[in-house]
Amino acid sequence: MIEVRDLKKSFGAIQALRGVSFRAEDGQITGLLGPNGAGKTTTLRVLYTILRPESGQAFVDGLDVRARALAVQARVGVLPESQGLYPRLTARENIRYYGELHGLEGQGLEQRVDRLLDLLEMGDIADRRTEGFSTGERVKVAIARALVHDPQNVLLDEPTAGLDVMSTRAMRRFIRQLRDEGRCVLLSSHIMQEVAALCDRIVVVTKGVVIASGTPEELRAQTGQQDLEDAFVALIGSEEGLER
Amino acid sequence: MKSIWIVFKKEVLDNLRDRRSVSSALLTPLFTPVFLVAFIIILGKSLFGDPIETVLRLPVSGAENAPGLVAFLEQNNVELVPAPEDPEGAVREGDVEAVLIIPEDYGEAFQSGKPAPVQLVVDSSRQSSLDFIQRARELLYTYGQTVGAVRLLARGVNPAVLNAVSVGQMDVSTPQSQTLIFLSMMPFMLIVTICVGGMYVIIDTTAGERERASLEPLLINPVRRRDFVLGKLLASVPFAILTLVLTMVIFGAMFNLIPLEEYTGIPMRIEVQALWRVFWLLLPLMLLALAIQMVVATYTKSFKEAQTYLGLVPLVLASPGAFVGFLSTKATPGMMLIPSYSQSVLINAVLRSETLQPNLVWISVAATLVVTAALTLLAIRLFEREQVLYGR
Repeated sequence: MIEVRDLKKSFGAIQALRGVSFRAEDGQITGLLGPNGAGKTTTLRVLYTILRPESGQAFVDGLDVRARALAVQARVGVLPESQGLYPRLTARENIRYYGELHGLEGQGLEQRVDRLLDLLEMGDIADRRTEGFSTGERVKVAIARALVHDPQNVLLDEPTAGLDVMSTRAMRRFIRQLRDEGRCVLLSSHIMQEVAALCDRIVVVTKGVVIASGTPEELRAQTGQQDLEDAFVALIGSEEGLER
Repeated sequence: MKSIWIVFKKEVLDNLRDRRSVSSALLTPLFTPVFLVAFIIILGKSLFGDPIETVLRLPVSGAENAPGLVAFLEQNNVELVPAPEDPEGAVREGDVEAVLIIPEDYGEAFQSGKPAPVQLVVDSSRQSSLDFIQRARELLYTYGQTVGAVRLLARGVNPAVLNAVSVGQMDVSTPQSQTLIFLSMMPFMLIVTICVGGMYVIIDTTAGERERASLEPLLINPVRRRDFVLGKLLASVPFAILTLVLTMVIFGAMFNLIPLEEYTGIPMRIEVQALWRVFWLLLPLMLLALAIQMVVATYTKSFKEAQTYLGLVPLVLASPGAFVGFLSTKATPGMMLIPSYSQSVLINAVLRSETLQPNLVWISVAATLVVTAALTLLAIRLFEREQVLYGR
């Protein structure tokens, strides 16, 4: 469970977050939807403790991200915008390193790594160095290492960016599976269709503030638009973010 | 502690698979000693080669006018060759180093006991022929002295009356301290070496991590930043030590296997024990060098930028060592407080076969480690900032 209360954060003169608040429940997929530069990535970075907010609070499973950073890190699995791997390590070694950093070891770690390799259908690339992996293969390794410690909360920053159609479908299936396992899934996207196809609840962010939130039905009702796309345009007041 | 070990283990494995890290650790040690020994052989020959042993090829015109002088020169390892047509031009052009001209009236003047004229054509602005000129001049002077002495004796006068002052010279330099002229370069070179061994590992684990976009996901793991910094810093240590050990071994092998005496005329030896002491003196400084590099690399945005800035670190750090080469400095406690300078002074003392004062060594070690700790703390602070994701 994730809760964000009135987050504010600026970089120099630019105010990236001007008071973001929302909740993301367990067993649901919550989507942060907004145009580029709306503050989605900054919000996620505050949640996974890489950035410190100037004011406001953020909780993961009731733990304050500022005061209990290490405990929060242990409870989130993150697919951040940067998904760099270690090219001289094999896929398995990349995943195992993160497992060790989460305090896993021995049989338990090896079993967990094997299960993820299996789950993500990575058997044939498991023991190859990741140098030269395709984007799809890379994302699989990044997902596996993010989930190696079986986190209750999963944060995904633009999870399908750069993926082809097949990989995108596989990724969506995987995200739904995470929800069905009862996890709290929070993803960000600037693509309306993606959020509409995946999310149980949508939080619309623009210019560092939340302008609407709710289920797709609630958003349609709120704006009086039948079509979700029109609802989104009505909310953010422009057609930005309607790519694809 | 455990997470430091995990980070250390991963970075060592990762960098062992990196050609850049491994080759810079393995090839640097070859370069430094080979360079120094080549320098000794090339310079040693011209500086210290014993001049009497080599034949002086002296162009002479009018040799037939002075058979006595010619015989004397030939006895003193001079090979007389015919003078060129235009002696002055040939010397000016540098075709020959000097030309001895013996005029026709030499014999007549010599017979009648007057100063017999000979002329040495030289170009004193030509640095490379100064040794040649000096040797030729000394031989001619010696011949004049010898003949003069014989003449005085023939007149019943002791030739010693001409020497009002007798100048004696005592050279107190030992073979080791003569060797030091060359070895004064060693602290400088060794300090450069300890910087290079771990450099690629440091860059790869900081700026490289950022450039690969693997830093952000890494930092989300529940590990203190302090442990990341310490693990990464420690991972560079085995590489740096490997470089230093190899350098020492190659130095030892070269100075003990290559007969450098033949090139320099003075015994050149570095005892294994001296190399061992130098190794221990350099260890704390090596940690300091790695910590500086960690701080600098944390600031830089990319691998290339890190390479540029880290390339300057060895020069800056080693420059006090270059000073020591020119100053014959005696170690004082105050000097021992300055890292790099203290090591240079102490290494110089070891190579001079002086006994090291343990308290001076301990001051140097302690001062260096304190600075190292401060730099490591600084690196940790830099890693704890949000800006670590972007560099600067």
